[in-house]
Amino acid sequence: MKARMLATHVALPVLAIVAASAHARAADFDWMKFKGKTVTFLANNNPVSQALLTYKADFEKLTGMTLKVDGYQEQQMRQRLVTVMNATSDEVDVYMTLPSREGEQFAAAGWYADLTAMAKNDVAKDYESAGLSQALLKAATFGGKLTSMPMNLEGPIFYYRTDIFKKCGLDAPKTIKDVEAAAEKIKACDSSVTPFVSRGLKPAVAYTFSNMLHNIGGSYIANGKSNLCSAKGKEALDTYSRLLRDFGPPGVVNYSFQQISALYRGGRAAMAFESSNELRTVMEGGARLKDTGLLPFPAGEAGQVPTTIGWGMAVSSHSKQPDAAWYFVQWATSPEVQKKMALQGIAPPRPSVANDPEYRKWIDEEPVRKEWQAALDVLATKGSSEVGYPIVANPQSREFIGQAVQDLILKQKPIDQACADADKALDALIALN
Amino acid sequence: MSDTAAPLTQDRQKLEMAALSAPAVVFTVAMIAFPVAYTIWLGFQTFSQTGKQSFAGLANYSKLISDYEFWHGLWVTIALFVLSLVLQLIFGVWLALVLFHAKRLPGIVRSLFISPFMMPPVVAGMMWLVILDPSLGAANYILQSFGLPPSDWLASPSWVIPTVALIDSWQWTPYVALIVLGGLQSLPPSVYEAAQIDGASPFKTFQRITLPLLLPTIVTAAILRSVDLLRFFDIIYITTQGGPGNASNTLNIYGFRVGFEFFNIGYASALMLTLTAIVFGAVLAFNRLRGAVAW
Repeated sequence: MKARMLATHVALPVLAIVAASAHARAADFDWMKFKGKTVTFLANNNPVSQALLTYKADFEKLTGMTLKVDGYQEQQMRQRLVTVMNATSDEVDVYMTLPSREGEQFAAAGWYADLTAMAKNDVAKDYESAGLSQALLKAATFGGKLTSMPMNLEGPIFYYRTDIFKKCGLDAPKTIKDVEAAAEKIKACDSSVTPFVSRGLKPAVAYTFSNMLHNIGGSYIANGKSNLCSAKGKEALDTYSRLLRDFGPPGVVNYSFQQISALYRGGRAAMAFESSNELRTVMEGGARLKDTGLLPFPAGEAGQVPTTIGWGMAVSSHSKQPDAAWYFVQWATSPEVQKKMALQGIAPPRPSVANDPEYRKWIDEEPVRKEWQAALDVLATKGSSEVGYPIVANPQSREFIGQAVQDLILKQKPIDQACADADKALDALIALN
Repeated sequence: MSDTAAPLTQDRQKLEMAALSAPAVVFTVAMIAFPVAYTIWLGFQTFSQTGKQSFAGLANYSKLISDYEFWHGLWVTIALFVLSLVLQLIFGVWLALVLFHAKRLPGIVRSLFISPFMMPPVVAGMMWLVILDPSLGAANYILQSFGLPPSDWLASPSWVIPTVALIDSWQWTPYVALIVLGGLQSLPPSVYEAAQIDGASPFKTFQRITLPLLLPTIVTAAILRSVDLLRFFDIIYITTQGGPGNASNTLNIYGFRVGFEFFNIGYASALMLTLTAIVFGAVLAFNRLRGAVAW
């Protein structure tokens, strides 16, 4: 299946109609329509929801509704959601979702309420559905149904130490080959730092590996079959695992964002390929503020095809008050709230917010923020939301990608066997689709 | 008062007591029986990737037989169980003897010895994850300070099981020690006095008197730890999530992922019921052993 290109010019005609209709109905809009009701929000306790919930009282004051927050860490949130949805319970009205991960699965299971009609019939004057990233809206549209509204925009980006690069006589890498060459040189030039670090933990690998695969020109599926054993697939597996094995930290197979951020923030890594969301964590304490450069991941043979995803807010199909729930979704994804979140370092999924003077002033305060925003601009225009296989069993597909990468990092299998084993397991998953 | 009045009153009292306790009994039985019955029922169902459910008969159980991950998970579970249990029993008995004989040990030191098991496993897991980090952790720093080679600990497929067993043993050895200490304190002093009169050495006293008399207590500790060890989950979930690769993927971790990450609740139920049967089997075996060593 072809990767979903997140070019901003790929606007959905349906959303243009939604926006036009919304304008006409906005005059009748009343935020107090559901006064006295209680909306339950199942939140992933991550920086995005933390920033949003800073303004919980504003929502309650604006609407007269009560917002009950049920917050968990990401995996625990999904467990709770699976339990609630399998029981067809109305306990949850609104929940956070990653369309790139579970979108196909939840849509096929009928767990998302269709927001198309709500976005058309009940929007405030300043909401501007069309002002949200069209690419992210498209990524959240399954079978013509809009299933969630984007909360943020994120993807893996390339963090590098400008001081170490200068000391070792290196320029910022432009290609993946430059990254390898820089890692080699840093290893010889400064043995006190880890030259390169990225995700090695099995379920987490797909997030960063997908960017490498797409940059090299590979794809997950060709002619209905898993394609990891293609020449490009093997090149991506080999390059990614070699970088981590030869230049990564010991124990990288257990590394996800927490370990990577800690290593880089502590000055122990020269290059890190990690989420744009980690900027705030990496910059904590200010040690890396002046010696960090940021880029989208350097190009491969197919150029730059960054991974771009975003958390979305969905209304449960089992909610008994989807209209009231929609009011919360609408408020949370409104330009006003997203601007407030942006000023807390949550990359906005609205170009209008990204260009807002106040936000721009915040960005201009630090050079590293400017580079961060420049990288996000590339993600917004060139990105692909394909993280793992674009199939219903996407979460499970990530396991097999991670397994193949770990087999190579740990030298447990030769590349032909690692990719063949992964392809075999993944073909079985594709067949279930 | 007639002869029949007393039994009638007793019957009435029994009925009243039964009626009063009935709600609690019904509630307790329902709380135990319903989840078990529901899980058994789920084990006969199959769930598609989209959550569609249908009756599958014994398909989930026949799938177990040909599922490599199941057999691997079983092997990992048993390896962790045996290694951890042996470590915890050996060091638990040793720690109990130290605490028993060191009568003048200050209370705070005693509390420190037994404090690890009061720590939530999640906290213990996070703490050891940091200590054992091959790049940033204190463990490798200490090894290298003594000129020893660093280890990959939790990131090494060959070291992950011993490392997880060590973490669990660090946490639960004091619990075993407390149980054994209780047993030591209840041993009859007369036997020791007799051994002393006969001139038995401390080692002989331990080998011939203390250990045999303590065996029922040790087996009780083994039963309590076995139930937890066969359901090994929290520390692995925090530290490795079953990795690297699938090197620490216990049956419990595998079942959790199948159910909550891949949404195959039917197969996950079959896996968990199989694990439950294994736990019951182990407990029954230890119970028999306990009967055999009772005095």
